[in-house]
This record gives sequence, structure tokens and C-alpha cells, in this order.
Amino acid sequence: MTRNQRAALPILRIVILVFYLLMVLLPFYWLFITSVKPRMDILTTDIQYWPKHFTLDNYRVLWSASNFDVFLKNSVLVSIGTGLFTTCFAILGGYALARYKFKAKTAAVYGLLLTQMIPGVLVMIPTAILFSKVGLMNSLSGLIIIYIVGNIPFCLILMRSFFDRIPVDLEEAALIDGCSKLGALFRIVLPIMLPGIVATFVFAFIGAWNELLCAIMFISSDEFKTIPVGLSMFVQSYDINWGVMTAGAVMALIPSLVMFAIVQRFVVEGLTDGAVKG
Amino acid sequence: MKRLNSKEPYLMLAPSFLLLMIFLLYPLLSSFLYAFQSYKLTAPNDIGFNGLDNFKAVFSDANFGMILRNSFIWVVVTVGGQFVLGFILALALRKPFPGRNLYQAIVFLPWAVSSFVVGLTFRWLLNAEYGPVNDLLLKWGIIDDKIYFLSDPQLALFTVILTMTWYGIPFFAIMLLAAMQSIPEDLYEAADIDGAGIWSKFWHITFSYIKQTIILTLLLRTIWVFASADLIYIMTAGGPANSSNILSSYMFMKAYATLDYGQASAIGLFFMALLILFCYLFMKVTKFEKAGNF
Repeated sequence: MTRNQRAALPILRIVILVFYLLMVLLPFYWLFITSVKPRMDILTTDIQYWPKHFTLDNYRVLWSASNFDVFLKNSVLVSIGTGLFTTCFAILGGYALARYKFKAKTAAVYGLLLTQMIPGVLVMIPTAILFSKVGLMNSLSGLIIIYIVGNIPFCLILMRSFFDRIPVDLEEAALIDGCSKLGALFRIVLPIMLPGIVATFVFAFIGAWNELLCAIMFISSDEFKTIPVGLSMFVQSYDINWGVMTAGAVMALIPSLVMFAIVQRFVVEGLTDGAVKG
Repeated sequence: MKRLNSKEPYLMLAPSFLLLMIFLLYPLLSSFLYAFQSYKLTAPNDIGFNGLDNFKAVFSDANFGMILRNSFIWVVVTVGGQFVLGFILALALRKPFPGRNLYQAIVFLPWAVSSFVVGLTFRWLLNAEYGPVNDLLLKWGIIDDKIYFLSDPQLALFTVILTMTWYGIPFFAIMLLAAMQSIPEDLYEAADIDGAGIWSKFWHITFSYIKQTIILTLLLRTIWVFASADLIYIMTAGGPANSSNILSSYMFMKAYATLDYGQASAIGLFFMALLILFCYLFMKVTKFEKAGNF
């Protein structure tokens, strides 16, 4: 490497890092400032890169004129439900895969990995038929079930990798001290694994919070719509109220941002762990 | 701790696997049957087997060739773009710098955002009348006329591809970065002593060390991108005139808009056949079996 190359590298790196930062931030910036502009400042060819008149009207309209409060409530219910059930099932199954030897273990792991390769769109139609037969169509519980199914394989594998990192000695010591097996799991192992459990919950929560097509397919009445479905109905029309839509998008964005910020490190670790090591 | 012949692990796995069997495996298998049936929700009394009619109807659709071609372009350009841009980001993030954690939290954000928000945001950014992208390009003299990103049939697909690429960069960057961080630093030190150049270090150490991760990530992402229809639905709904439809979005629209579940299932079956063929070829070419380690 010549001296010039050596000097150019750090600068190139800074240029690249700044480029990616702007690429991510500018779209969100535009989304946000549109949501605080009055309608006349949005629909103008004299484009304002910094809002001249700041207003919260779009948020007011969003809350009063649409069913946004209902959508929000549904999204929260579905996401928390999905997160809780998925996490519980993943803890149980992950523990079984990490701590036991049994005949069907390899098959179970392969089966879980294989489900990762089945595209959701393929299962959507037969599931809709199944749902309408058993009365789960157009219901929040149906949506929660489909989201659990979508998230469980990955979360289970993820949870297993968290268990794998905890030395078995800890539990054995607790067993010798007279703890029951379940007691050892709850009193010793789970507290240490709290970050991993939170990461799993967040993963399932974000998945459910953001999902769009199943929710469109399975939910038809306004009272059960989640935020993405509820708002996407307005996007399909030609006369989009951009101020209100961007306000809705900002509201939809906040929970995922907060969750992601809290557990970013664990999710990043977990994603790679769960997916690469299997 | 580890015991054979115990029922406990089976009981612990039961809730997950029961759900997967009822709501994933069973629907998947039953879709084979629906593909050979007349199954329109608009005609509930007229449900029954109709042989290959659904397949004939789908394959004779005048747009089907274009949709297949679109799917191919969509997968290749999107996955290629995500991979290259994700790789560059991961390389830039490999060595620590002040504020790296915060920086990572920001650039990985798109991963946590819903396709609805992403689609809406880019539609608005690229809006022909009031969007900032057209405005800036005109002001800077890069273009003379407005670009109709989403209503021009020549451009609509590529506009969604651009958005999808942006959306998927974090996933690749996260996976590749983690793999890069597992490369022992002394490999680079030894290469330095040997006087290896930057390209030689990149090729012989970085690239060859994380090859398995690259292969696995490419496979998972290709399947995922091939199957994802939500951005297309939000941004163009497949239009104008099917010009931005791919197989998965076409199938979704068929089921959702026309309620013809039979034809949609036939598309699904064809879709699955393509996917299996792809996986087989991919594993054959990359000798993937050696990559699994569990």
C-alpha cells in the first residue's frame, strides 16, 4: 500500500459513513417535517425544506377524524399478545433444545430452519380458508395466532442460543442445593437471561407491529384493524392527505424506534447468532 | 442434566410445534388441493375440482411473461444492491470509532420500520408534483423534466427496487458485520508483516473468512425478497398496468382483489416450484451442505 492510499482510507471511510447516515436520516426527516406543515405548505411547488409554519393540526385530524385510536389499541393488543406468547413458547422450546438430548432433536432444529424458507404469501390463502372455517377470520386472536406462527421458529432458535451461553453448572449447583428443576429455571437461569428474553419479545413485537399483508387479508372491519392496515386504506386513494398520513406514519414509527433503541445491541447480536449458528 | 428418553423436551416443544403444524404445515399442504379447485369466494356454491383450469388461466394471462421477468429483475437487482451496499457499510463499521454504537443504532433503523411507513415515505419523497427529489434534481440541473417515478411504467418497478434496497441494507450489514468481527485480528497483522496489499487482505482474509455467512445470507434474503409483496402493494399496487407486479404481489392481489383463491393457489404452487428449484441450484453451486453446523 502506498502512502497516499494509507492517507486516503480514513477519509474515504468518513465519507462512506456520512453517506449512509444521510441516506437513512433524510427520508425520516422529510416524513417528520411534512407531518408538522399546514396543508397549503405541503401542496405547493415552492418546496420548503424547513417548515415555515409549524402546526400540530395533522395530528389533531388524525386523532379526531379517523379511527386512529382504535387502530392504535388493536396494534398494541396484537403486538403485546404476539410478543408474550411467542416469548413463552420460545423459552420452553429453546430450553428443551439447549438442555436435553432426545431423538427428534436434529429433526426439530431442521424443521424450524426449514419453516424460515416458507414465504408467508404462500400460506396466506389456505390459512384464510382455514380461518373462515374455524371462525378466526376478522378477529384479533386470529391475527395473533398467525403472527406467533410467523415468529416462533426464529425466536425459538434465538432463545436456544441464549441458553447455550449459560453454563449448565449454575443449574446443577442449584439442583444440588435442593432446587427443583423448574425452580432452577425460574430462579437461576431466567433472571440471567433477561436481556435475551427482552430481545426475543421485542423481535416478535416489532414483527407484529409492522406486519401489513396478513392484516389486510384477514381483517375486514374497522374495529379490528391495526395501524398499518387502517392507514393503508387511505394510501390507495388518489387524493392522499399527505399531512395526516405522515402524522400517522410518525405515530406508527415511534414504538418501533423506542423498542429498537433499547435493545438494538441484543437484537443485532441475536439476529446474527440465531441465523448463523442455527 | 441431559437425559435421553424423557418426555419433558417433547412437552416443552409441543406448543410451538402444534401451532406450526396446524397453522403452517396444514395450510401449506392444503394449498396443493386448492390449486386444482374452482375456489372463488364470490361464488361459494361453485367450489369443486376443476383439473388444470387454474393453471391454464394463469399461464395464458397476457401479463404473466412480464410478471415473471419483473420477478427476476426484482430479485437480482434488489438482493445485489442490498448485498453490495450492506457489505460496504459493514466494512466501514468493522473498526471501532467514537460513537459507533449510536451510529449503528441509527443506520440499522430501517430494519425496525414497517413497510407501510417506508413505502409511504418514499412515495412522498419521489412525488412528481411536491416531492423534494424531483425539486432538487431540477434545481441542480441534473434533469430537465420531472421524473414520474411511480406512474411511468418504465420506471415504477425500479423505483420500488430502489426503496427495497434501502430497506434491506441493514440486514446484510448486521449479518456481515458480525461475521467480520469474528475474524481473528492476528490474521491481518500477519498479512501486514508479509506486506500484503489492501485488496489482497480483503480477498484472502475478510472475504474468504466470511464466505459461509455470505452464502447463507444471500440464500435467506433471496427467498425473502422474492416473496415480499408489501412494498409493491403500498407504493404502486402493481401498477401502472401490472408493470411493477412480481409473482408474489400478483398472487396477493389476485387473492385479495378478485377473491379467486383457486387461481391464487395455482400461482402459489408455481411459486413454490420455482423456489425449490432455486434452492436446489443454489446449494449445488455453493456446496451449501458443508456450511451447516449444528
